[in-house]
Amino acid sequence: MPRVAYSFPEEVLEHVFSFIECDRDRGSISLVCKSWYEIERWCRRRVFVGNCYAVSPATVVKRFPKVRSMAIKGKPHFADFNLVPEGWGAYVFPWIKAMAVAYPWLQEIRLKRMVVTDDCLELIAKSFKNFAVLVLTSCEGFTTDGLAAIAANCRNLRELELRESEVEDICGHWLSHFPDSYTSLVSLNISCLGNEVNLSALERLVSRCTNLKTLRLNRAVPLDKLANLLRGAPQLVELGTGTYTAEMRPEVLANLAEAFSGCKQLKSLSGFWDVLPSYLPAVYPVCSNLTSLNLSYATIQSSDLIKLVSQCESLRRLWVLDYIEDAGLEVIAASCKDLRELRVFPSDPFGLEANVALTEQGLVSVSEGCTKLQSVLYFCRQMSNAALNTIARNRPNMTRFRLCIIEPRAPDYLTHQPLDAGFGAIVEHCKDLRRLSLSGHLTDRVFEYIGTYGKKLEMLSVAFAGETDLGLHHVLSGCDNLRKLEIRDCPFGDKALLANAAKLETMRSLWMSSCLVSYGACKLLGLKLPRLNVEVIDERGPPDSRPDSTPVEKLYIYRTVSGPRLDMPCYVWRMEDDSALRIS
Amino acid sequence: MSPTLMANQNQGESAEYLNWLLLLLITFSLLSLSLLFKVASAVYIYKDPKMAAFLFSLDQFHSLEDMGTLKLIGAPQTQSSSSSSSSIDSNNHPSRTPPPPSSPSSRVCRNRTDLSTDLRLGLSISPSSQSESPFNPTPREESFDWPPIKSILRSTLVGKQSHMIQRPSLFVKVYMEGIPIGRKLNLLAHYSYDGLVKTLGHMFRTTILCPNSQPLNSGNFHVLTYEDREGDWMMVGDVPWEMFLNTVKRLKITRADRC
Repeated sequence: MPRVAYSFPEEVLEHVFSFIECDRDRGSISLVCKSWYEIERWCRRRVFVGNCYAVSPATVVKRFPKVRSMAIKGKPHFADFNLVPEGWGAYVFPWIKAMAVAYPWLQEIRLKRMVVTDDCLELIAKSFKNFAVLVLTSCEGFTTDGLAAIAANCRNLRELELRESEVEDICGHWLSHFPDSYTSLVSLNISCLGNEVNLSALERLVSRCTNLKTLRLNRAVPLDKLANLLRGAPQLVELGTGTYTAEMRPEVLANLAEAFSGCKQLKSLSGFWDVLPSYLPAVYPVCSNLTSLNLSYATIQSSDLIKLVSQCESLRRLWVLDYIEDAGLEVIAASCKDLRELRVFPSDPFGLEANVALTEQGLVSVSEGCTKLQSVLYFCRQMSNAALNTIARNRPNMTRFRLCIIEPRAPDYLTHQPLDAGFGAIVEHCKDLRRLSLSGHLTDRVFEYIGTYGKKLEMLSVAFAGETDLGLHHVLSGCDNLRKLEIRDCPFGDKALLANAAKLETMRSLWMSSCLVSYGACKLLGLKLPRLNVEVIDERGPPDSRPDSTPVEKLYIYRTVSGPRLDMPCYVWRMEDDSALRIS
Repeated sequence: MSPTLMANQNQGESAEYLNWLLLLLITFSLLSLSLLFKVASAVYIYKDPKMAAFLFSLDQFHSLEDMGTLKLIGAPQTQSSSSSSSSIDSNNHPSRTPPPPSSPSSRVCRNRTDLSTDLRLGLSISPSSQSESPFNPTPREESFDWPPIKSILRSTLVGKQSHMIQRPSLFVKVYMEGIPIGRKLNLLAHYSYDGLVKTLGHMFRTTILCPNSQPLNSGNFHVLTYEDREGDWMMVGDVPWEMFLNTVKRLKITRADRC
């Protein structure tokens, strides 16, 4: 048999592989033959771990010795909505410890939903001489002292992004720990910090870092300081303002408008806490170049929003509160022809009645007018099958569709029927749909449609839907590419889960809370499927103290090659598999 | 006249009499029925204080709507904006004693505190579920995990509800020609001239004209003027709203024929 693999010297193969960036393709390369596996693992520079418990740090470090960039995700997605109790896990320290030894040349760390302590940050600052990129999304557990350590020691730091993380804000002077000689900052995102940072230190930092492209300020930065900051960084591409209100003074407005017009490269705007509409005209000069606009915190009325958004013809991404109303969305449909992503958040999520005139019609208008629309997250109070049908037919190129009707189990408001047909139309017509979130009154029917048509679906979120196990069975048996399934408050029990147990090993994770899965079924799954970690989260006490038929509170099942985890809190029980019992 | 005709006339007359009698009877029965109903309802009210308070408060609420926001109008409809606060503390109200069945005349002479008591009682129909109150759709219990929004947005919005009360304000004095006591108004609570004119119209019970609309003929109409930073008195409505906010110092409502 010709040894094709050895006809090319390793260096050539390495060079060829260096053009392959996608993780999945890299995985395929490594499966070709043993030598390709070897070559590939020595030249892999970026590793993405989608679930920090799916594999141990030691395994990763052993297989890929020359990594420069790590990305790790921790808690399940529903942790964003307070469904995962405190202390659940996702500690990044074991990873940092392992990498500190194995990867002295590590440059980038990106973490999502993990617990990062100050010790971790100090270890990072000490261990990696070339450290350049730290992105912490929805993380928690650290303080500004840890940030000070990063600032003081990472001479080559380029990106420091704390996106929506929970940081204990001890002292705003951590920024001053950046030495005066430090000028390599490209991206700084401190939008989640609660307290003031040292403003003069910030101004000096911004003006001496001439490569600064992204600056996202926190709410505590006052509006009258913004003009100075902008003047210090006219090359900015992405800006997040601080609080966008002040006593109305015409000179402040004029100053701000002039500063904004100086930033000719500005493409993305965010921030806008506490907006005073009279100050919005300051950003009008940059509107026509904007591709991304995040107004999620801008609690202003439809007319002011319309005045702003109607000028942003190049907009690709818009996040806005439902103050935009149907009228505003119609204007967007007419003016923002390049729109790819729309997110509309609820301004009064707990009110019983609508406080704004935002209905399904707004989304229908946008689906008609914006032909490139692919990604939607929409909170509203009423929906109809007809509207969903129209949206599906208008936008077959939709890839992410998340609809949240605020009242659980709300039916089609016109016909009082379930919304099965509407969501069915979405999955049927949008053949490239990768992510879907359901809401409203739904029966097993909708899951039948999803199982039949959702062949490319990778992530599905379900709440307050379905009638019997058949629904879950349709999804698990029909969606070939399903990776993440998260379910809450649905009447799904043991049957579908046990019948499709093998499917669970092909998925990253399954989350079920407030469903009808019994403790006995969980034990069975844990016993029979050793490559799955079946974790029962129950704050009522040990599940053994209740009959096997009692439904568990929450269930998190994920595949893993590193066996059960050892850092579980007291309310998480793992279902032992056969091998564990045999060893003990 | 022939006897038959006379007889007919007599018959006609008696028929007429009969009709009148019938009409009287019907009217009397209606009156007695309504009286009976009133008595019955009085008895019913006595028996069911909650229903009484509810019915009573219905009347009160309608009169509140007619009143406008801030002004205190004289005797029978004496209720200030504390109606909103009464809804909040409706559940905390200690006394749930029903109003005694009183004659209509004594009801009118009731003072302010009794009225507020009734209002609170009316709004506390079902103390257990506040959300059933038909007048104040109070928000559902804030669930910490639904709807699925991130905590950062949640805290900003919830904070916003309270921040809304403290949003930056621009209070200016407003005088109406001929009335020595002025009012104060928060200009930043409005977003355009329309809102401002409407509110002022309610506050001062008059119609305020726009500068370029009807001819200024009648003395019953007023126009709105303002004093700018330079001390000049100008007509409201010529410059854009934001610019107006920047330069206005105080407002004055003058008679239309003066301009």
